[in-house]
Amino acid sequence: MSSANRTTEVVVCLKWVFQADEPSDARFAGMSPADHAALELALQWATHIGGQVTAITVGPAQADAVLREALACGATRAVRIDTANGVSSADVASAIASVARHAAWVWCGDYSIDNGSGSVPGYLAAALQASQALGVLGVTFESGSIVATRRVDGGRREVLDVQAPAVISVEGATARLRRASLTAMRAAASAPIEVVAPSIVMRTSEHIAHTYRPRARALASPTGAEALDRVRSLTAAGTSSAAHEVETLEPADAAARIVQTLREWGYL
Amino acid sequence: MIAVVVVRDGLLPAGGAEVMAECEGRGVLIGSQPSVAAEALRGVATDLTLVECDSFQPAAFAEALVPLLADQSIVVLPASPDGRDLAPRLAAALRRPLHAGAIAVNAQRVDLVRNGGRDLHRVVPEAAFIATLQPGARGVVADELLPAPATRNVAFRATAVVDVAVTAVLPPDPATIDLAEAARIVGGGAGLDGADRMMQLADIGRKLGASVGATRVVTDRGWAAHERQIGTTGVVVAPQLYIAFGVAGAVQHTSGLGDPAHIVSVNTDPHCPMMQLADLAIVADANATLDALQELLS
Amino acid sequence: MNENVNENVNDCDVIVVGGGPAGSCAAIVAARAGLSVVLLERGPFPGSKNMYGGVVYPRILDELIPNWWEEAPIQRWVTRRSTMLLTDTQALTVDFRTEAWGKAPYNGATAYRPDFDHWLASHAEAAGAQLLTSTTVTGLLRDDKGVVVGVTTDRPDGDLRARVVIACDGVNSFLAKQAGLYTHTDVKHFTLGVKETLALPKEVIDERFGVRGREGVDIEIIGCTGGVNGGGFVYTNLDTVAVGVVLKIAKLAGQALRPEQIIATLKAHPAIAPLIEGGEVKEYSAHVIPEAGLAMMPKMISDGMLVAGDAAALCLAAGIWLEGVNFAMASGMYAGEAAVEAVRAGDVSAQGLRGYQRRLSDTFVLQDHRKLRRAPELVLSDRVQHLYPQMVANVVERMFRIDNPQPKPGLRRILKQERKRAGIRRRDLIRDGLTGFRSYG
Ligand SMILES: Cc1cc2nc3c(=O)[nH]c(=O)nc-3n(C[C@H](O)[C@H](O)[C@H](O)COP(=O)(O)OP(=O)(O)OC[C@H]3O[C@@H](n4cnc5c(N)ncnc54)[C@H](O)[C@@H]3O)c2cc1C
Ligand SMILES: Cc1cc2nc3c(=O)[nH]c(=O)nc-3n(C[C@H](O)[C@H](O)[C@H](O)COP(=O)(O)OP(=O)(O)OC[C@H]3O[C@@H](n4cnc5c(N)ncnc54)[C@H](O)[C@@H]3O)c2cc1C
Ligand SMILES: Nc1ncnc2c1ncn2[C@@H]1O[C@H](COP(=O)(O)O)[C@@H](O)[C@H]1O
Repeated sequence: MSSANRTTEVVVCLKWVFQADEPSDARFAGMSPADHAALELALQWATHIGGQVTAITVGPAQADAVLREALACGATRAVRIDTANGVSSADVASAIASVARHAAWVWCGDYSIDNGSGSVPGYLAAALQASQALGVLGVTFESGSIVATRRVDGGRREVLDVQAPAVISVEGATARLRRASLTAMRAAASAPIEVVAPSIVMRTSEHIAHTYRPRARALASPTGAEALDRVRSLTAAGTSSAAHEVETLEPADAAARIVQTLREWGYL
Repeated sequence: MIAVVVVRDGLLPAGGAEVMAECEGRGVLIGSQPSVAAEALRGVATDLTLVECDSFQPAAFAEALVPLLADQSIVVLPASPDGRDLAPRLAAALRRPLHAGAIAVNAQRVDLVRNGGRDLHRVVPEAAFIATLQPGARGVVADELLPAPATRNVAFRATAVVDVAVTAVLPPDPATIDLAEAARIVGGGAGLDGADRMMQLADIGRKLGASVGATRVVTDRGWAAHERQIGTTGVVVAPQLYIAFGVAGAVQHTSGLGDPAHIVSVNTDPHCPMMQLADLAIVADANATLDALQELLS
Repeated sequence: MNENVNENVNDCDVIVVGGGPAGSCAAIVAARAGLSVVLLERGPFPGSKNMYGGVVYPRILDELIPNWWEEAPIQRWVTRRSTMLLTDTQALTVDFRTEAWGKAPYNGATAYRPDFDHWLASHAEAAGAQLLTSTTVTGLLRDDKGVVVGVTTDRPDGDLRARVVIACDGVNSFLAKQAGLYTHTDVKHFTLGVKETLALPKEVIDERFGVRGREGVDIEIIGCTGGVNGGGFVYTNLDTVAVGVVLKIAKLAGQALRPEQIIATLKAHPAIAPLIEGGEVKEYSAHVIPEAGLAMMPKMISDGMLVAGDAAALCLAAGIWLEGVNFAMASGMYAGEAAVEAVRAGDVSAQGLRGYQRRLSDTFVLQDHRKLRRAPELVLSDRVQHLYPQMVANVVERMFRIDNPQPKPGLRRILKQERKRAGIRRRDLIRDGLTGFRSYG
């Protein structure tokens, strides 16, 4: 591949996931909001630099759905690395890297709603020896580079100058995915999807699943920005939760109960 | 076990003290002014290695940390923005598995939060691994009697790896400060049925003298601006009163919540974490309750 | 060849609008005949937003999908059918059960629409129809002579042309109206269906309803709809029970009651409450039903266009029957067949498509409607709704009450007394009886 191509090759990583409100229904499964945003920005960026977008997913045959959506929206190539769901993030990243070896720009979602570790993009950057801009909130396109704003601790933001090769992961509200045209949708329905067997043995995680319960906290960590807040939150910690009550109420009664309780607590 | 915490301008990230406590006081502080951060860990840390470097460079940090961590079997980072970014690079550099998003880590067992805070996956870890710990999940008790941690400085050696260039660090948005400093917050989650509900919430907030916060699901949907998002990847707040409507209480959200003296939660699911954290937990439709509350307060 | 339609500009032979039972069956038939078919559905997948009471009679599928019962996503087979007459405190039930309906070739079944519709649409896709989801049809394309030549959608670049458009877009069909096929619509032709799905463990349902395995129950209810004319139903799924009411919209508007309050009253009735006690509400939904049958049916054929299913008001809502899915599937099939015929013959004018009308008239689709044309009115009349249940229940109560030392009264005397007490004129009773006999008999 020529070097000119290399700097215009744009990849977007899309994961087929069960949506939060319909956990066990594959018919509702699809991209996360973050992946939608990643796809939109990848398409815009490719237009900006005169490149083309390859959409990649690692997953079972049903995951083709996200690739078809990407094709309908304007991606020109779609690759699925054929695996079961639930492969470890490291293996997902190395599988993607083996297909995207020459990519200059790799767009990802910030985190996937099921696994939610946000680690695939970091792994990918390591595997591609690319720089990384993760958890990005906003981008501005320059001529051959991207200015990205990323959120860091304490509500501060960091402005990054991103040069190729780079992996950029974005939050869901960063961009709204365009609506595919009818013609593109029809074409995408029968467009070819390259299905690749993974080159390594994919590991799935072994675990016992439980319903999430918060861990018993030793004591609230001092989180306030100011020293005084920290002291306050430390001292308030032991005194909270007079009595824990769970009540099932009709809306009107619920509202009344809230107001009454706020009075008792001295807020009203 | 050893903690690795990225420090910026001497400030610890959310969860910095907690990973230190999880690793029994042993850790590496890397970033700008780690010695200032070491001070803040008094009572928690016992044994610190400080690596000074002006800016955050995940790829270079990973390379630099490899020799320091090579014989440490368990490495824990906070799942704060910098920790989350560094962890996979470190895992790749050390060739070790990564267990991201844990609420408890030890050699026998790692508990991972999955599916947006709904599930807990219990994993029996490998002999050597890396984990990130959710801020706010464990809490810390500072031991007043503990002496100042022993520190040792290690010089940062730049390598040839590429990182992005940081051109500026912006202070928090004014709107964020408003939220971060608010003593009372009303929060909206995915249980609300539309963007208009956030406007309604703002109205109710005004009447209660409260700021408006939201979960990530809500900001992702564009129902509220980014700076309204409370949590690990949002704003860390410290209100006295938090009233949550349709918020599940995923650890990524509650980790940004501080420790309010009073929590009210309205949710249709009595078993979700937010309801367990609440002093007053009401099982009701949050949307209809908002309607009723708005009427009641006007 | 029809000169109105320029072959080159057609994107496909047939556009089917709506991935409900009518649309999928139309698409299956047309695609199997080798036509190029596009099936447009506004939801994220066919059936995703569709609701109904819960019982489907898929006999009509015998031809289209042989042994459908082996693969259809059904919840339970209806082996027990009850009709209940409720007053505030009394219940009279006619209960029928048969083993026969619990084995092949089966009769009725309970099924979830997202499952059932999705399954039917997958057959359309397998037959070669192209399914495009999350796409809403926004209007009709016509040529300069007014012939329907395609549809517009809400997507960019969203016009789609075809030789025949089959509108299966459900009740209140926007397309049929746009084509001017409905001469008038009247709110009195519609009822509102409201339904709650309650979760209960399967064993509890089995025990309370007296069924096992895949056996299920279909209960239709007259009375106990809080003064609003209508009816109710209770259906069993594997681990949920559907409880719903069908209410006359005109009447509902006049009452201060909200539909959910009426469901609550029904759920609290002494005959219903024990069946559903402890069930957790999983879902609440409401939908309009075309109820007036023949009285409201539109023209179903125009140049380049056919209308099927609820879009053509083919739902049969006649008291103890609430069937729409089977009518939708059948009319969809017949529309598909007619479209194939017309496209093959090269005449897609209303004349060329008239095979649709013939098929509807020759089969249960219109014959049932003719036979039952007075039934909806009868069932929803004030007498049947409010007076008869009370009268009948009182009669039965007195029949079975032992008033010793009084001797047992004669049935005829009780009947007369109770009729008078309920304020029913003899003349009306006889007339209603005749209408009922003609309809149901
Ligand atoms: C790396 C990473 C970083 C993250 N950072 C953040 C962060 O900074 N901030 C954040 O908030 N999240 C964050 N998340 C997401 C987090 O894991 C959760 O997914 C999110 O907090 C859930 O938001 P929610 O409670 O609004 O939505 P859901 O989890 O969908 O919960 C909705 C709740 O509403 C209830 N409900 C539904 N209908 C009603 C009704 N009618 N009335 C009342 N209640 C109802 C439901 O029972 C449920 O409890 C992060 C995740 C990851 C993986
Ligand atoms: C409360 C209630 C209970 C019922 N109970 C029963 C019962 O127990 N048994 C029974 O057999 N029948 C029952 N019915 C009737 C039955 O639901 C309908 O008759 C049947 O669904 C009609 O099927 P259809 O395919 O014509 O329309 P629908 O099922 O309404 O399908 C229409 C489809 O078109 C799509 N659509 C609509 N407009 C557009 C557009 N502009 N662009 C693209 N797509 C569009 C919709 O999303 C939908 O998928 C009940 C109805 C109600 C409301
Ligand atoms: N199986 C996968 N296939 C394609 N992309 C993926 C996959 N898993 C994760 N990603 C990408 O990595 C991002 C973060 O995912 P995660 O690290 O799983 O939280 C997602 O938003 C995707 O862009």
